[in-house]
Amino acid sequence: MTLVRQVGMIAAKDLRIEVRGRHAFGTILPFAATLLVAFGLSIGPGRTLLQQTAPGLLWLAMLFASVLAFRRSYESEGEDGALEGLLLAPIDKAAVFLGKAAAVALQLVVLWVALLLLVAALFDVSLGGDAGVVVAACLLGTIGLAAVGSLFGVLTESPRAREAVVPLLVLPLAVPVLLSGVKATSLALAGLGSQASGWLGLLVAFDVVFLSAGTLVFEHLLED
Amino acid sequence: MAPSSPSNALLSATNDPPIPAENAAVSLSRVTRVFGVTPALVRVDLEVPRGEVLLVRGPNGAGKSTLLAVLATALSPTYGSGAVLGFPLDRGRDEIRRRTELIGHATRLYEDLSGRENLRFWARLTGADDARVDAALEIVGLGAAADDRVRGYSQGMRQRVAVARATLREPDLLLLDEPYAGLDDEAKEAVDGLVARTAARGATVVLATHDPTRGGAAGRTLYMDAGRIVPDPTGGVRR
Amino acid sequence: MKIAAGGERLMGRMTARTGEKVLGWASLVAVAFTLVMSLIVVPPDASQGDVQRLMYVHVPAAWLAYLSFFVVFVASIAYLVTRRIRWDRLAAASAEVGVLFTVLTIGLGMLWGKPVWGAWWTWDPRLTTTAILLLLYLGYLAVRRLPESPARRARWAAVIGIVAFLDVPIVQLSVTWWRSLHQGPTVRLLGESTIAPIMLTTLLIALGAFTLLYCYLLVLRLRVGRLEERAVAEALSPRIGVPVAEVVDEGEEAVARG
Repeated sequence: MTLVRQVGMIAAKDLRIEVRGRHAFGTILPFAATLLVAFGLSIGPGRTLLQQTAPGLLWLAMLFASVLAFRRSYESEGEDGALEGLLLAPIDKAAVFLGKAAAVALQLVVLWVALLLLVAALFDVSLGGDAGVVVAACLLGTIGLAAVGSLFGVLTESPRAREAVVPLLVLPLAVPVLLSGVKATSLALAGLGSQASGWLGLLVAFDVVFLSAGTLVFEHLLED
Repeated sequence: MAPSSPSNALLSATNDPPIPAENAAVSLSRVTRVFGVTPALVRVDLEVPRGEVLLVRGPNGAGKSTLLAVLATALSPTYGSGAVLGFPLDRGRDEIRRRTELIGHATRLYEDLSGRENLRFWARLTGADDARVDAALEIVGLGAAADDRVRGYSQGMRQRVAVARATLREPDLLLLDEPYAGLDDEAKEAVDGLVARTAARGATVVLATHDPTRGGAAGRTLYMDAGRIVPDPTGGVRR
Repeated sequence: MKIAAGGERLMGRMTARTGEKVLGWASLVAVAFTLVMSLIVVPPDASQGDVQRLMYVHVPAAWLAYLSFFVVFVASIAYLVTRRIRWDRLAAASAEVGVLFTVLTIGLGMLWGKPVWGAWWTWDPRLTTTAILLLLYLGYLAVRRLPESPARRARWAAVIGIVAFLDVPIVQLSVTWWRSLHQGPTVRLLGESTIAPIMLTTLLIALGAFTLLYCYLLVLRLRVGRLEERAVAEALSPRIGVPVAEVVDEGEEAVARG
């Protein structure tokens, strides 16, 4: 069975679990929405300030949402020890990494669109500009978050692990995604999409590095 | 492939010459597995010829589960080396996994999927025949509940799904770790049937259980205590 | 192959007790010499004054913070490829020494920046990247404390050591671009492109001295690592009935002999 098929099977399994359990849309979406409302309140009612900070807050909310999404993704593997089953299955372990990344990336894309609409409403941001660049920023950024989250999500089994891994590893590593996503999104929304090419390029580089590195080393995180 | 510790140059502790790796189903040499500073397996030497049904007995904490996990390559030895089905434990894991099936403590189920969906996933992932899933569920008596979410299953039902999963493939080595736990008599018969069928086609079975009513089909019995293989505590020579 | 064998012999000599003492004295002398040069001999900077002397420690500290991480990266790859525990020991030691130099870099950077920039922190791209480097180091060391089995610890640490290092240049690039959009080029700490010869010489001496110091601290930490492993082996040995010498990693023994 090819790697692509294995990835597809694992991603499909994860998505089916998500549809059944409705975790992303039951828990993560409300969490992200609350976060945005709280951000908006704490920054104050000044219109210009809200408009300027909107892309940053959007991507911050996405970053936290991705952490939650992977916690849930790996939790379903931990409940009955299914992860050991994946380890013992005669499959390429990288398929687990890529499959889980793909499933969460899909959820994150949908979440991003929902949050963008919310941000447009709450922070009075006009949705004009270069749609192509907006889509590109969304896709490339969520792939980046998914790559980091899928790789390190394996380590977050125990609460002690979570305390260390998320703030000290996941968040710092995702900084380029945060910065590039924010810049590309704000340029695109302002109609200056052509200036965003450098940032999009950086996102591509990040995605390539993390997806390939993750594919090569993931099995070492599963073996005992 | 040569292990790092010099102690592995020594032959196994028994007087019998070791079975050549190609002919043995299992060949372990001074395998030790440690968790922190707690040893779970201590210098285990084991030879299991192909086709044997080996029964492993011992009290809780004797290391039976750890031994089976090492054979399944779920755990790697901290010291020592070995081969399963002719493939080395350190470098031949993929080959071992392709040919081995473990029914362990963990049921490895996805709570939000149904029993049937769980089995279909594992079947497709491991290249087993999808059509066997329905038959397997019938054999363990889960035909009716197969489409309910696992989250609602009792412990006995979960164990039965795990047994059903083991019937989907035809492994050369079948490892069972306390497979009878939580099962009624009918399901226990199903497990025995699986063991018998596996042995009948020439594959090797290692069954760990401290249920004294089971394991009659075994050829040899191994006793473990505190991580070591110990002589038969009942004193007699079991056939 | 020959380079690897030669490198291992060099490591062996350096980590033996006499090598350690030589390194210790050499780095002490070198650092003392650097201090003399940087505090007394070199004249103060034309525009920044005496505070600029911090450069002679800040720059080498930064160089070593990144070099340490590079060593972690290489050792991590070496561990995954060879599975010899010595590489994991090297990675752990380099990470701990690296934290030291990273904190030093950031601290001195802030001390230097306050009089020059007027603020403790201005999101200078290099200092910001170094701060992220510090977080990654701390994450690496924190994860090392999680697993119980040494093999799993080494594997997890190796993965982080590799992936985090690959991210650092991308972080650096993104922060630099980000920063350049928001503020015009401020006075850089290392402003002038032409640097007086005596200053350059002193800087190079400082770099050499601190690299020696890094090696010494690394060797010290490696020895502590071996002692830790020995302590674990001695706790384990009676429980599994194997003499301590066999429990200790065979590769370890080779280093001690060499």
